[in-house]
Amino acid sequence: MLFVLFPGFGRAESVLYGVGGDFKGFDPVDAGDVESADQVGRVYEGLLEYAYLDRPYHVIPRLAEALPEVSADGLTYTFKIKKGIRFPDDPCFPGGKGREVTAQDFVYSFLRTLNPRLQSQGDWIFVNHVRGAQEWVDRVSSSKDPVNYDAPFPGFVATDRYTLQVNLAKPYPQLLWVLTMQYAFVVPREAVEFYGKDFRNHPVGTGPFRLKAWRRNYRIEYERNPFFSGQTFPANTDPEFQADVGKPLPLVDRIIEYDIREYYTTWQMFLGGQLYSAGINKDYFEKVISPQLELSGDLARRGIRLQKSPLLNTYYLGFNMLDPVVGGMSEPRKKLRQAFASALNVKKYCEVLTNNRSTPATSPIPPGVAGHEPKPYPHAYDLERAKRLLAEAGYPGGKDAKGKQLRLTMIMPGAGSTDARQAADFYAEQLRAIGVELEVQMLTGAEYLRREHEGETQIFWAGWVIDYPDAQNVLQLFYGPNKCPGVNATNYQNPEFDKLYEHVVSMADSPERTALYAKMADIVVEDCPWALMTYPLAYGLFQPWFQNYKQHAFPYANWKYFKVLPH
Amino acid sequence: MSDGPNNTGLWQIAWRQLRHNRFAMVCLAILGLYTAVWIYAEATFWGARIRGVTPAYKVSNYDIRNQPPSAAHPLGTNFAGRDNLSQMIQGTRIAFEIGLLTSVIVIPIGFALGAVAGYFGRKIDTAVVYLYSVIDSVPGILLIMAIAYVVRSVVERSEAFQAITRYVDSGLLAVCVGMGFTGWVGLCRLIRAEYFKHRERQYVLAARALGVSDGAIMFRHIAPNVLHLIIINFSLRFPGLVLTEAVLSYLGVGVRDEPSWGAIINDAKQRLWLGNWWELAGATAAMFFLVLALNIFGDALRDALDPKLRTAEAKTA
Repeated sequence: MLFVLFPGFGRAESVLYGVGGDFKGFDPVDAGDVESADQVGRVYEGLLEYAYLDRPYHVIPRLAEALPEVSADGLTYTFKIKKGIRFPDDPCFPGGKGREVTAQDFVYSFLRTLNPRLQSQGDWIFVNHVRGAQEWVDRVSSSKDPVNYDAPFPGFVATDRYTLQVNLAKPYPQLLWVLTMQYAFVVPREAVEFYGKDFRNHPVGTGPFRLKAWRRNYRIEYERNPFFSGQTFPANTDPEFQADVGKPLPLVDRIIEYDIREYYTTWQMFLGGQLYSAGINKDYFEKVISPQLELSGDLARRGIRLQKSPLLNTYYLGFNMLDPVVGGMSEPRKKLRQAFASALNVKKYCEVLTNNRSTPATSPIPPGVAGHEPKPYPHAYDLERAKRLLAEAGYPGGKDAKGKQLRLTMIMPGAGSTDARQAADFYAEQLRAIGVELEVQMLTGAEYLRREHEGETQIFWAGWVIDYPDAQNVLQLFYGPNKCPGVNATNYQNPEFDKLYEHVVSMADSPERTALYAKMADIVVEDCPWALMTYPLAYGLFQPWFQNYKQHAFPYANWKYFKVLPH
Repeated sequence: MSDGPNNTGLWQIAWRQLRHNRFAMVCLAILGLYTAVWIYAEATFWGARIRGVTPAYKVSNYDIRNQPPSAAHPLGTNFAGRDNLSQMIQGTRIAFEIGLLTSVIVIPIGFALGAVAGYFGRKIDTAVVYLYSVIDSVPGILLIMAIAYVVRSVVERSEAFQAITRYVDSGLLAVCVGMGFTGWVGLCRLIRAEYFKHRERQYVLAARALGVSDGAIMFRHIAPNVLHLIIINFSLRFPGLVLTEAVLSYLGVGVRDEPSWGAIINDAKQRLWLGNWWELAGATAAMFFLVLALNIFGDALRDALDPKLRTAEAKTA
């Protein structure tokens, strides 16, 4: 009763318990994987962010006062930065007191992302677009001196304490999207210099939460950041999200996540109410989801909600185009890759290994993004065609001219995972049907990412999680100059494609641009540097006491909106 | 060679004693059965390999996934619709291959190091003891995993080793090397102690007086007198190897492309909570009886071959 009479007195802390924490660290420039981005998004922020509840996706200012002023030629973006935003107190600052965020901090943070010595996976957001970026990168790579972040840089200019100018080499309409990403988050220079290599373990950000305790491979805990600058739950028209409109964010006091590798444990903890959410493993699917793809009775009676939503991801098997066997643009090599793609019964894969929680991919551009055309994949499963193409590629029956069997090697992450081993077994069997021996090597996550990043592959399993709702984000993976160690992990290079790409990157959204995107996707599908696999559907289970969740394709900054009811 | 008649005597006596141990004979019969299954599995495997076709146990049929036991599939089918019974049979092959392959590594290392340490003593002995003490001080499973990871990545990344993986699964090879390089310590200790004892015996002193070289004394004269130890050690170690492999494969470090028992159990655990016990039961039972039979038979063999135990028994009898 006390609680009713004195609502402020003895208010229970609200804590969100989840699964997570297997990630690299908190350096935004290094947060190239989904899990790292998710963790970084709690402690750091950027100029812009996505409007959480609005669809189609659009950006709103976060640390900026407003959306930028754009010059008539589309080359200069001027941001006004909010006054009074503070970095939290931390030993890295003189006297341990945090200080105000200024325009210069953004210049510093953006240059860190560009710095080739840090090997950020996010340098692509600026490198071919910002004025002077490429020259700066070349200069830093060729010199041995420490990087001078104070020297004037034509691309990023702090014209006064609260004004930041971004100058582009050519129009780059995606700039607003990429500024929502973790690579463009603001970090204090003091922290980077104070902690050095250990910076990734000591986040000092303006975000809604701050790191309280972290024991790698076990548990991570965040608490509300007292220095988080005011933001409230947005007004909206959705009846589901009315309860908290206008309330200050974040809505939970703490987030605690456990690094759980064994699905059975996750499942039991979720059933016990110890976790707010759980995915559904393929072997649990039949028990949990009815044949009508709805939640089974027991769970539904407990108020557990099932959320199904398409993800803007594309899974594929990539070929290293520099490989002497599968790479190259000659006709036989192309046919070999097409034969490989046609040999994969992706529909069966979806059914057997994902319980139809994914659909066969038909274009590198996922559905829901302009440029995706609903037409069949030309290299869809067709065993006869695969055998024919393989023969035309010079390997009739899988054997070369000397009668030696064709043997290929593929890498995928998931060392030690049963699901990965079963998937590997599936791929090998499909290829065996056309006489090709496929050896699948399952690597640890870090080793896999390294080999993919450095191009040390023949064939690799991969998925691209789109960074912003614009097909350019996928198509950049095929742009020649982005080749390894850039994002173009297949080292694909096609002059026709490159010319189109250079043309479309500076175009604003228009039907013409969408048509060009579709055309570029067709070129890629024909050359086949990717054997397309699947578009996944997300099936998540949520506790009834977990509120304010709306599925989002770019969810990394959404933690502040979530709410936990007393339970 | 000069020990010929003496040796035959030892083996004959041992066999006579074993024959009277009914329990041991049952285990021997079980082992015979396993060996037959193993040979059958090897034949299926290599037959398919030579003909260049996919062996039947590897062909999946996704229409009959995860089925309960039936007449056609006495142990049901697995996640890919493959027959669990034939998976289990192939698992026997993997288990034997692991036992043999590992022993090929363990026996020469353990024997050679034990022999030189025991025969020469002094600094060589100190060095060998130091080496095996270091290896023995590291928790076995961790060391095996570390070695297995290294071996696997070396094998998978070098052209020269690629050829090997055509014949042996790289995961299997890695596990065998891992267990091989950690498993020789016990044998080495045993052999070293024997050599200590034998190097002072009269026949050795006589050989030395006649000017026989150290190598010849070690391997021509002493070796036949300790050979039975290797056989006992092998039969007692074998079940441990099978179990270790199962643990490693369960942890995902072991065999990958082939249905080892550990891998089968790993697959089976995914659906165990749904009540699919049969996949687990098959592999576990196969492992249980093999390990049990080997242990009992190994014990009996040791009793039969060890002259000291034999006299002790004779006295009590």
